Amino acid sequence: MEFLNLVLMFVTAWLIWKRPEKERVARGLLVLSVVLMVFLFMLGARTSLLPGLNY
Amino acid sequence: MGPPRLFTFLAIAVLALAIVPVGSAVFVLGFIQGDSPCVLCWEQRIGMALIALIGLFVLRYGARPFYLGLSILVGLWGTYMGVRHSSLHLARDIGQGFSVEIIGAHTYTWSFFIFWCCTAAIALLIMMAQQEDLAAAHGPRALRGLNRAAIIVFLVVIGANIVQAFTSTGPPPFVGQSDPVRFSFNPRHWVWSMGEFEPAPIAFRGRWAVEKPDVASVDPNPATGPFQGLPALAVSSRRTLNLPWRGTPTGLAYDAATDRFLVTTQDGVYLATGALDRIEKHTIVDTLFSVDLGRFVGAAFLDSHTVLAVGENKSFVVLKENDGTRTDGADRNFRYFLESFDDFDEVTRSRFTTVRARMMYVMSAAFDPATNSIFTVTVPNATAKRIVVSRFDRGDYTLAGEFVPTLAAGAPLAPQKDAPGLERLYVTAAAIADGRLYALSAAHSTLLTIDLASHQVVAAHTVPGPDRPTGLAIKGSDFYIVTASGSLLTVGRP
Repeated sequence: MEFLNLVLMFVTAWLIWKRPEKERVARGLLVLSVVLMVFLFMLGARTSLLPGLNY
Repeated sequence: MGPPRLFTFLAIAVLALAIVPVGSAVFVLGFIQGDSPCVLCWEQRIGMALIALIGLFVLRYGARPFYLGLSILVGLWGTYMGVRHSSLHLARDIGQGFSVEIIGAHTYTWSFFIFWCCTAAIALLIMMAQQEDLAAAHGPRALRGLNRAAIIVFLVVIGANIVQAFTSTGPPPFVGQSDPVRFSFNPRHWVWSMGEFEPAPIAFRGRWAVEKPDVASVDPNPATGPFQGLPALAVSSRRTLNLPWRGTPTGLAYDAATDRFLVTTQDGVYLATGALDRIEKHTIVDTLFSVDLGRFVGAAFLDSHTVLAVGENKSFVVLKENDGTRTDGADRNFRYFLESFDDFDEVTRSRFTTVRARMMYVMSAAFDPATNSIFTVTVPNATAKRIVVSRFDRGDYTLAGEFVPTLAAGAPLAPQKDAPGLERLYVTAAAIADGRLYALSAAHSTLLTIDLASHQVVAAHTVPGPDRPTGLAIKGSDFYIVTASGSLLTVGRP
């Protein structure tokens, strides 16, 4: 999934550079990438969502 | 400051972010040193790249509120990710960590610092912006010079990361691993895993969510205990203590030299006569001031005039009895006590640090004059089901030894197959005499005799009748047992 996310980011940057008129698409991909990052981190950290500290 | 300079600073920031943490991670740590990110590292690296990507959006489309806001959100999320990941290893010993170090700090600890810097840098850039920078652009800005370099470098770095991600995590739906293998370009060494999708409990505090100990939560019936057919100790007397203490008894100790008992309540320390019919001195400790002492659960005389009260969280306070010559306690001890300021002075207040007993609460404490040591005994919880005896040197209140008691071979308590049963006990009172630790379990009303030299349980008895025992003391040939309801039982020592 990290591979997919990085591909999304590569495409987004490429759109910014080569197809700047596609801002709406690029922004959608950006949001998707952020959501995917948050989901994957929570997937790995779900057994203790808060930092493992002495509360 | 004009718009070009602001965007120049931004381009430099994007280049720095792309090259230093994200680029060096893939080229130096990954391709050269063979390091592979774990699943949490991957998301932190991607988070940094996302902030750089949002910077590219601003370079191209202007400082639109959506991009500025999103960059701050990702920066804050990244700071959380850095703290969450670092917390897995922050409490380890010096130099111990996970994966590689960079300038003396492990990679995940750098993540927190980098995200913090990113968020601060975003704030500074916003502060530097002029009104015209924040106005909606009429169309995409032209990318020249540093701006174009930033986007090219970003694409190169992300391209390299795509290669590393494909080799070490694989295509979707495979995800990064919590404990990845070394990076390799050789497909034979690639590990693609779905392990992170396997069922796992969702929790906020994880293993730190340990329930508070509760003497009322256990079954006192000896008949349902782990050991059947134990001899019962005879109760020689039973009465209710009608003493004016605040709270209920939580600990008990006896000093033969002064013929006095020490009783603790949740936050009270009481010196009572040997007949337990009158309180001579007392104080109420401010358990929330400075070190959080929790609720007192154990009491011990360190000498005839120095007493120890231990909290359930293994924090403790040592009090020295005031001989009555000083009467300025109201001022001197205001910060330590809530009432009765002249009876004691606080010597020290600190915490016992344990290893085997870590992440477990205690409900008892005892002092052994022969070894000048303080002992605590853990109570099991949902994740740690065992009894751990910890010994602390009185000289520095530091851990001097720990053991998990075992059953003595050949004793009446021969180990039962697959189920020794000690972990089913719930020790809430303890006392020491003649090299033996007597540990009274509220669960199944069982008294263990533990030899402190061999660390073995050499005997066990049931004690009929003590409903929720919380304190145990040895006076002469008798055990004195106090309960949470304020009862006092006298039981002959075996």
